[in-house]
Amino acid sequence: MGSRQITEKSLAMLRSLPRISLANLRDNPGAKKNTKRGRGQHGGDKHGAGNKGSGQRMNYMRLGYETGNNPFYLRMPHEPYYKGHHLRRQYPPLSLHALQSLIDKNCVDVTIPIDISTLVKSGFYNFFPDQKHFGVNLTDEGADIFAAKINIEVQWASEQVIAAVERNGGVITTAYYDPHSLFLLKDPKKFFQSGQAIPRRMIPPPDAIEYYTSAENRGYLADPEKISQERLKLSQKYGYTLPNLENEPQYTMLCERKDPRQIFYGLEPGWVVNLKDECILKPKDKELQDFYAS
Amino acid sequence: MNLCLRRNLLRPSIKNILRSATTTPEIDTSDQVVIVDDTEDTLARELEIEKKRNISRLAPAHFNVMNNRRPYEEPKIIAHLTVKYNRKMYGKYGITSGVNPSICWPSKTDIQEIQEYEAVAFPYSIPDMMHAAAQKRKDEILRIAQRDKEVAAKFEKLDQWKKELNAKIAKKAAEVEAVKQKKERLIEEVRRHFGFKLDPKDERFQEMLAKKEKEQKKKEKLARQEAKEKIMFAKLQQQNADSENASKKSN
Repeated sequence: MGSRQITEKSLAMLRSLPRISLANLRDNPGAKKNTKRGRGQHGGDKHGAGNKGSGQRMNYMRLGYETGNNPFYLRMPHEPYYKGHHLRRQYPPLSLHALQSLIDKNCVDVTIPIDISTLVKSGFYNFFPDQKHFGVNLTDEGADIFAAKINIEVQWASEQVIAAVERNGGVITTAYYDPHSLFLLKDPKKFFQSGQAIPRRMIPPPDAIEYYTSAENRGYLADPEKISQERLKLSQKYGYTLPNLENEPQYTMLCERKDPRQIFYGLEPGWVVNLKDECILKPKDKELQDFYAS
Repeated sequence: MNLCLRRNLLRPSIKNILRSATTTPEIDTSDQVVIVDDTEDTLARELEIEKKRNISRLAPAHFNVMNNRRPYEEPKIIAHLTVKYNRKMYGKYGITSGVNPSICWPSKTDIQEIQEYEAVAFPYSIPDMMHAAAQKRKDEILRIAQRDKEVAAKFEKLDQWKKELNAKIAKKAAEVEAVKQKKERLIEEVRRHFGFKLDPKDERFQEMLAKKEKEQKKKEKLARQEAKEKIMFAKLQQQNADSENASKKSN
């Protein structure tokens, strides 16, 4: 009975073996990850980083570097006409056609003077003073069909645009605002809710002074006498008869201008506007009055 | 049991809905005299009722903001003590915020600081800047005019300069040509002397060439001397003639 002997032997061996427990169990292959890097025969060689290159050397190169080639971003020659482009004043455009459509849609009230605040309030124009935007550039697209009598204040306008506005009996002024004033004009409510006194508008920088003092551009710092002369000159150049402003029923509206230090129509620097109480507070202190008048 | 209770609770609300849906006008009760009871007791009771009515579970600050009141009556953090925050409270909640509006304006030190900043940031007045811009424009125009003038003056002389340059080039070319011909002639002479074609690098050829050149130079020198003598002679003759004339005149 050989088979019986074998069975008994194996059973005896099983009985002598230790029972299965945590002490004699081993992890599944690959379940345990060694944090150490083997050396030599213990998994040395490439350590799983592949053969040569960025994988081994961890030299992930800087953006634009082309491993010794003349990089693309340096391959173009020097272009000096872009010099200082990040500092230049920008004037996001609004065409006369777009302005006409705003007026037709009654998004802009033409019975009161229009400034950049009005345009922003219409919801069809926006600008960002923090991105070097210094106001609106009224462009001449649609100058032929422009037919509104308005008193508008923009930051930049060409000769054609001035002619188009004045032909219809309107008035146009180009005015400079410093970025801080533009923030106020963009969102007056936010400013009034901050409970501060309205500041003064700052004077233009030296490189903009020529534009804003010249009567041809209808600058806000130009001599009014010269502006009226230029109005006549321009009408003769473009061949239209200049409507007489004094006979207009809206004469007072058309003649309304802001002071060079003023930011909002009808509100002087130094005033505090409270929207909750619907009141305006004016400074009485002599020193404050002098400061805001300077 | 619960269901029963709910039914009881629902009843008045249904009644209300039905009443609002009817078109019959409500009985006006405004004729009755309204007695406002403001004893301490009733006020306290009203307050408690109000408190119970507030079932929003909002934080007090948020509840205040929702009801258009300033969130905190007392400062909670350091920021609530700042001028900026107080101005904001006044701007948003008006006089009910309890802030004295005089803080809306800058203080004396603030004004001084602003003025100091402006003196640095805007160093030039408008007339100054206008003057400087006009001057700059004038200078630019002047510079362009001067340059135009320069170019015009140079343009006038252009034809003459062209002629001169062409003459110079032609002269140089002629000189080069003459030298070349002279050399060729010499070489030709040397060849004729030997009577056969000889390599110009040959020693005998070079010797002969040097000799010929020497001869040529000698000849040239002689010619020059002769010319000089001729001139001298002519001069002397002229002088003699002059002196004779002078003596004749004096006689």
